[in-house]
Amino acid sequence: MSKPRVAIFDFACCEGCQLQIVNLEEEILNLIDLVDVVEWREAMSEQSHEYDIAIIEGSITRPEDAQKLEVIRSRAKILIALGACATIGGVNKIKNNFDLNEVRECVYGKDAQMPHLNTEVTKAVDEVVEVDFKIHGCPIEGSEFAQIIRSLLVGKTPFVPDYPVCVECKAKETICRYEYNEICLGPISRAGCGAPCPTAGWRCFGCRGTVDDPNVEAAQEVMEKYDLTVDDLKQKMVLFNTK
Amino acid sequence: MSVSTVTKEQFKSFVAALVDSDQNVVGVQAKDDKFAFGELTDANALRLDYDVTILPPKKYMLPQREALMNFEVAGAAESVQPDEKMVLLGVHPYDMIAINQMDELFSQGEYDTHYMNRRNNITIIACDVVTDSKNVFAASMNSATCDTGYDILLTAIGDAYVVDAATDKGQALVDMMSGANEATDADLKKREAVHEKNIAALNKHELECKPSFLPKLLEKAYDHPVWEERARLCYSCGSCNQVCPTCYCFDVQDEVNWDLKTGTRCRAWDGCLLTNFATVAGDHNFRKKRADRFRHRLYRKGKYVPGKIDGQIACVGCGRCVTACTAKIANPVEVYNTILETTELR
Ligand code: SF4
Ligand code: SF4
Ligand code: SF4
Ligand code: SF4
Ligand code: SF4
Repeated sequence: MSKPRVAIFDFACCEGCQLQIVNLEEEILNLIDLVDVVEWREAMSEQSHEYDIAIIEGSITRPEDAQKLEVIRSRAKILIALGACATIGGVNKIKNNFDLNEVRECVYGKDAQMPHLNTEVTKAVDEVVEVDFKIHGCPIEGSEFAQIIRSLLVGKTPFVPDYPVCVECKAKETICRYEYNEICLGPISRAGCGAPCPTAGWRCFGCRGTVDDPNVEAAQEVMEKYDLTVDDLKQKMVLFNTK
Repeated sequence: MSVSTVTKEQFKSFVAALVDSDQNVVGVQAKDDKFAFGELTDANALRLDYDVTILPPKKYMLPQREALMNFEVAGAAESVQPDEKMVLLGVHPYDMIAINQMDELFSQGEYDTHYMNRRNNITIIACDVVTDSKNVFAASMNSATCDTGYDILLTAIGDAYVVDAATDKGQALVDMMSGANEATDADLKKREAVHEKNIAALNKHELECKPSFLPKLLEKAYDHPVWEERARLCYSCGSCNQVCPTCYCFDVQDEVNWDLKTGTRCRAWDGCLLTNFATVAGDHNFRKKRADRFRHRLYRKGKYVPGKIDGQIACVGCGRCVTACTAKIANPVEVYNTILETTELR
């Protein structure tokens, strides 16, 4: 059996998730043993149009990116969204809260009207094409990436948690932020990261997006129990969970 | 077996010697302004005056995640058996009672060798509660004190401990304590007073019936509005399960190695409040609604588990779920009392 061909593409992002793959170091050699990487701008110069698995990093912010993504989708058997920018739009979606012309001028100044800077409303990959698997996080967890890839290679559906970060936070015996009347997005955010933020004494910022069925109706009443408001909560959600 | 008294200083020397030996010693220590069981490397760090730990000691019998076996894909499998010995210091009575219940559950029917091997390798030094936590209601659940399961029970009386050795393993440890004298009648009276005090004090939420009445009460509560009223705010975060000393559900997952030929089967804590806890083959979830899952936990504690262990109620009143629930809806006493107050009981 020939090895599956893998191509990695990046759109609007910081490339931090690809870096997490590179940081796998020894494991990356195992991976390269099992697949043929045929295109990966960050690590090699070759390009290819023949691949089975396409890994997409970054969000879609320009019409030409959407077109490129559609072509990739048509060529790939499996398409994986890598990292928050790709899975939920991530920090790039903050811009969707503002008028686009203002955004262009603020970021690009006098070049704002140049055609290649024609930035539009930010979309997650699955708002443009069908996505088969999502590897969440900003950045992704290297070990989770490896686990998902190995599962796909043996033909097993990868395990991706649909429970909140609190599960992993409690398993680590972390003190809950709510014990100090502080907001944490853990109860509605998707786990899989091992709750590093609450473990370090921060709130969860929700970088993996929400669980499939977050209890948003509860927010108002629950926040009141801590002398907080829904607006406090919404404000914390802008960073990663703008629509 | 003996009941002796040692001064707190003498006890500390004993712990220091234990820590210096090749034994694996685990004890309660401060974690910021809370407490947690953890490996003890310094006798001074042991805090037997703690109120409650964030997680119960079940993590040493049923770890958050553990390997069950190594396997070849579509081939042979070899079980992984834990064999590490441990002295566990500072188990409160309510947690001791929870461990006793888990021991029964994991040894009945299909004997769970992983749990039972770990359990049998642990020597438990329990201790009566010195400081009551903000949500403890052990007294309502008859678990403010305990009389079995431990190898040693410590009770702080002033600047000394009454040390009650209940097993040979426990006695062997007491024999190592220099300065241990037979407890006097006065010491035993003081211990009695501690027990009486705890039976009164460890009751921050008062259950308005005897715990033994709960299975009967719940027979009439399946369609009670309380489930929906409370679960409306439920995040399905499972914190109430994770922190509970009597929650023992786990999920089994297989992981393959990079050779794609071998792998490890692991089990990790699961919880009946999580959305997909009851999802089975074909993606069918037979407890889809938050209220159904919320009700399930309180039926487990008050009716289903008691049905497997001679009527013992599977809530020991540690109060951890009350503290851990971000939505502040998980308190079993509030739920049971609401049902008591609104149900025609004849
Ligand atoms: S998800 Fe985060 S780390 Fe990954 S590319 Fe986007 S911004 Fe960078
Ligand atoms: S700190 Fe956040 S993630 Fe952790 S248990 Fe509390 S709410 Fe959940
Ligand atoms: S704790 Fe929250 S913000 Fe931190 S990595 Fe996990 S999901 Fe992202
Ligand atoms: S149900 Fe709550 S109070 Fe009862 S034993 Fe479990 S965590 Fe403790
Ligand atoms: S801790 Fe509270 S919010 Fe979380 S699952 Fe339990 S009852 Fe629901």
